[in-house]
Amino acid sequence: MSAALAVEGLSAGYGGDPVLTGVSFAAEAGSTVCVLGPNGGGKTTLFRALLGQLPHTEGDIRLQGHPAHVAQAAHARLDFPVSALDVALMGSLAGRWWLPARRSDRERARAAVERVGLAGLEHTPYGALSGGQRQRVLIARALVQDAQVLLLDEPLAGVDPASAETITALFADLRAEGRTLLVSSHDVEGARAFDSVLCLNRGQVAFGPPAEVLDARVLEATYGHELIVIPAGEGGRPVRAVAVQHHEH
Amino acid sequence: MGLAALPDPLYLLELRSTRLAVAELLLLAVAGGVLGAYVVLRRLAFYTHAVGTATFPGVVLAEAASFSPRLAALAVAGAYATGVERAGRSGRDPGGAATGLMLVLALATGTILASDVFQSGAGVDRLLFGSAIALSDADVAVAAAAAVIALASALLLGRAWSAVAFDPEGAPALGVPGRRADLALLLVVGATAVAALPAVGSLLVTSLFVVPAAVARLLTRSVPGLVAASVGVAAAQGLLGLYGALWLDVPPGPAIAVLGAAVYVLTAATTALAPAGSLRGVAA
Repeated sequence: MSAALAVEGLSAGYGGDPVLTGVSFAAEAGSTVCVLGPNGGGKTTLFRALLGQLPHTEGDIRLQGHPAHVAQAAHARLDFPVSALDVALMGSLAGRWWLPARRSDRERARAAVERVGLAGLEHTPYGALSGGQRQRVLIARALVQDAQVLLLDEPLAGVDPASAETITALFADLRAEGRTLLVSSHDVEGARAFDSVLCLNRGQVAFGPPAEVLDARVLEATYGHELIVIPAGEGGRPVRAVAVQHHEH
Repeated sequence: MGLAALPDPLYLLELRSTRLAVAELLLLAVAGGVLGAYVVLRRLAFYTHAVGTATFPGVVLAEAASFSPRLAALAVAGAYATGVERAGRSGRDPGGAATGLMLVLALATGTILASDVFQSGAGVDRLLFGSAIALSDADVAVAAAAAVIALASALLLGRAWSAVAFDPEGAPALGVPGRRADLALLLVVGATAVAALPAVGSLLVTSLFVVPAAVARLLTRSVPGLVAASVGVAAAQGLLGLYGALWLDVPPGPAIAVLGAAVYVLTAATTALAPAGSLRGVAA
């Protein structure tokens, strides 16, 4: 397999001192990477650098094509007069944002909405959908972009169980298609299901397979006081950990 | 003061001056209605009010210098749009504070200049509130150009404007250059608002570019529906306002603005009292 994404010595920031330094990792095509870290630890900065929205002060990024980004559903306006299909169709703007949508764009958008399990809800106003359904619509929008690398910002945070199940199954399908997924998360236990884990705390703490990376030392270096580490039990797992989230919303 | 008898609606088509007014208002309904939809979605109502007002000192200076007021207004609107976009780059909404500052500056400067340029207040009133029954063929031609520009812009850029308005932070990741899309909207609104100055003046541009779309926004649940309803409301409001102005013998610009405000208040009250979502067809 070839690397769909390779980052070497990356430092990035917002004009002043870099807020993220020393990030080096690679992800093969068809692999999944969970990006763990506290709020302010650099997950969003990393994504913005990968999307080309932040100039990186040091290092190198190599990507297969332009990545698609799935932000948290809370960022979009619920009062906006768009349907689920309209939102998915926005994924066809890349490269031709100054032109009207084509019939083929609409067909791709409809297929993407069906793929995320929302067939029959295409014309439902975005604001009338549940939080989990809205998250799936944003994933459909990313699918329309047909990117090889997808960056997902806490896609399972606050979604209903049915949506979480659909999204998780979709991740497996996308992985099988050879797409690379970078998923930011606070779910330390959930990170064990990924191929790799990247731990950030204003810099790279660790990167590698979850079984090798997720130990008490790394987790404490990543989260500091925002983490509760539960000692190993008899079930086989070395440690269990729960990240304490401090969301502003 | 007694009310005159209601005039025959066809009276609007009898005189050349009222025929020009009807044509102007219908064309401006297209320009204002279409762009107004995106103005409301992008939350640029304040900017739209301000860009009309910003042209005031430019037009006064043009009158004094015997220069084309239309070109002067266009230049000021373009400069204003660019300035607001640059000032607002760091925020989610393009330049709210900068818009307010420049609005006050434009109004104050225009008033000071006007006191030297015009011998009577009538000239100032015409610039501020327009005169829809004193239009020329050139004014109508400019309104037609504004309608064409608005339609073409919405056809080509409407999707991008919607994407930016829906999710300003996520739009760049979709390949939409948010700042350039915003600047394009600001420039197009500024340029087409200039076309409305002869009919409704600097201060009442919002009566055609914001109020109809704000009314339509209360009643629709899709962007195409919003655009169509906005044009319809703007046309009805313009024609009824003109008719009412002729009946009551009041200036058309303020009559159109007052009617628009009344329609908005009534629609807002009705939608607030109606069962949730029923007027938009949204499942409650």
